[in-house]
Amino acid sequence: MIRILLLILLVTAVFAMACGDDEADAPRDKVVFMAGFKPQANLPFVAAYVAQEQGYFAEQELDVEIRHASSGEHLKLLVAGDVHVTTAAATSVLKRRSDPELPIVAFALFGQKGQQAYIALQDSGITDLKGWEGRTFGYKISVPPDYLAMLEAAGVDRDKVNEVKVGFDPRVLTEGRVDVLAVFKSNEPNVVRNLGHEVVLWDPADYDVPNMGLTYITTDTYATESSDIVDRFLRATLKGVKFVFEEPEKTLDIIMKFAPKEDRAHQSFMLNTELADATGPVTDEHGLGHMTNEQWKALYDHLLKFEALPQPFDYRTAFTSSFLERAYDGNKLRWP
Amino acid sequence: MTRLPSSTPRLEAASDEGRSVQGRLVPTVAGYARRAALPLIALLLLGVAWEAAVRLSGVADYLVPTPSAVGSRLFDDLGYFLFHGLITLVEALGGFAMGSTVAVLAAGVMAHSRLFERTVYPIALLIKVTPIVAIAPLFVIWFGFGSFPKMMIAALITFFPVMVNTFVGLRSVNPTTLDFFRLLDAGDAQVLLKLRAPSALPYVFAAFRIAVPLSVIGAVVGEWFTGDRGLGSVIIVAHHNIDMPTLFSAIAVLACIGLGLTGITALVERRVLFWHDSQQSGPVL
Repeated sequence: MIRILLLILLVTAVFAMACGDDEADAPRDKVVFMAGFKPQANLPFVAAYVAQEQGYFAEQELDVEIRHASSGEHLKLLVAGDVHVTTAAATSVLKRRSDPELPIVAFALFGQKGQQAYIALQDSGITDLKGWEGRTFGYKISVPPDYLAMLEAAGVDRDKVNEVKVGFDPRVLTEGRVDVLAVFKSNEPNVVRNLGHEVVLWDPADYDVPNMGLTYITTDTYATESSDIVDRFLRATLKGVKFVFEEPEKTLDIIMKFAPKEDRAHQSFMLNTELADATGPVTDEHGLGHMTNEQWKALYDHLLKFEALPQPFDYRTAFTSSFLERAYDGNKLRWP
Repeated sequence: MTRLPSSTPRLEAASDEGRSVQGRLVPTVAGYARRAALPLIALLLLGVAWEAAVRLSGVADYLVPTPSAVGSRLFDDLGYFLFHGLITLVEALGGFAMGSTVAVLAAGVMAHSRLFERTVYPIALLIKVTPIVAIAPLFVIWFGFGSFPKMMIAALITFFPVMVNTFVGLRSVNPTTLDFFRLLDAGDAQVLLKLRAPSALPYVFAAFRIAVPLSVIGAVVGEWFTGDRGLGSVIIVAHHNIDMPTLFSAIAVLACIGLGLTGITALVERRVLFWHDSQQSGPVL
């Protein structure tokens, strides 16, 4: 009897070990995620950093390689198949979907408001949009449709504003080369303050300009053929976002691991700004990351109105909520 | 660094490359056409291979555009590209003029003063090794948004090759001739104007051939960072919009500008240095 019991124990132990080994050796699915800029505290970047460091990707049996784009090459690498998931502003997704008809699709939204805002130095004397008339406005690459919508909303005569492309250095504002500057509101306002200048900020959202922030995107093909991987990637990163809200200081520690050369206080500013914009009525109802057809349609119509889209197209092809719907049970994240 | 005059002149042979006039070879139209034919054929074949490769591989045009798409974009909106090309050309030439003038003057002083040479050369070298893209944005802050900062960048990038070559040229006079000048009691100014300057000219033109295309690059780099005019601005916006046909069209116009300027430099060189050995064997370009 004892021998039989020992035999059963032995067989059970061997079976358990074998099962354990299988689990440990099971190959994880490889995913290449490219953040759309250098390592920093943009929320969709941070969600991936946290998911990596907290082991959420591993729990979802994903082997995620996190890369960073340096000069806007991430969309090309995505459509070339070198990257599986990357980040892009909702506006960029619509523009690039319109022309050159990139087969990209957004599957989560991390900014219920847009990233862009406009600032002037407090001592410039500019207090409202009317004050932009007769001044020089600096934009980064192309004239933002948000800016045009704001001018229209405030009855500003665009012909009286001198517009100039200035690139990405905010010192053009502090050195008086421009009076009003297009900025990412989670970045330059704090940079300018650190240079010793207080700023006045105009947020397009305050003028009812439809806008959205950064999204996660992938290709149509990857979304279809590897939907299970996208499901798991999204669940892991959404759990990462939840962690960010609950543990801001630990999150900053993680960010600094990925961006050791950055200033912690500035990263904190960036993160807090993005967190404030990550929630809204849609996320309150459906959960973080959610987006609606109405949001995308409003943005699409806005871009069309201000001729920011090269050509009209079916905007519904630019996003899908199916991954988010599978990620949540009501507004509760399914885990694992 | 420097193309030294070394080739043996073909004094008498009135070949199909050109005809001999007073001991120097003057290229004919047929000669020019024959020389241009080979690279044009090579370019055409490259274009055909490129077109075929893109079409057969099925690569999307937002990754690699076909030459036909580029050509179509270019010629459909030729005025747009010529307008921006003209701005880039003016900025490049302005920068080239500024950089070359300062470089030649600095080289002239260096050739006469070891102290000045030892002081200035390391600084010039420092400018040379400084990545221009790192400091170009600062030029906007310092000098504003007009053409001047772009010219400054073009000047900066052309300065070093012209200065070094001119300096070497000024120092590379024939010692026997120099002794002869001294024997005739020639002053420093006479030695400079009658001996050193003519001796340096081949070196200067060799530098110009390097510096002229560099000036175009300098102007383009400057346009990347600011302003909404010039081919650099066209390229950066096209890159941002993933508009490959526009991007490649701008590159094609830039290539034409670079080739044109280099050709004009070569022609001027032939006119100015008609007496020099290097011009006896026909044009390099």
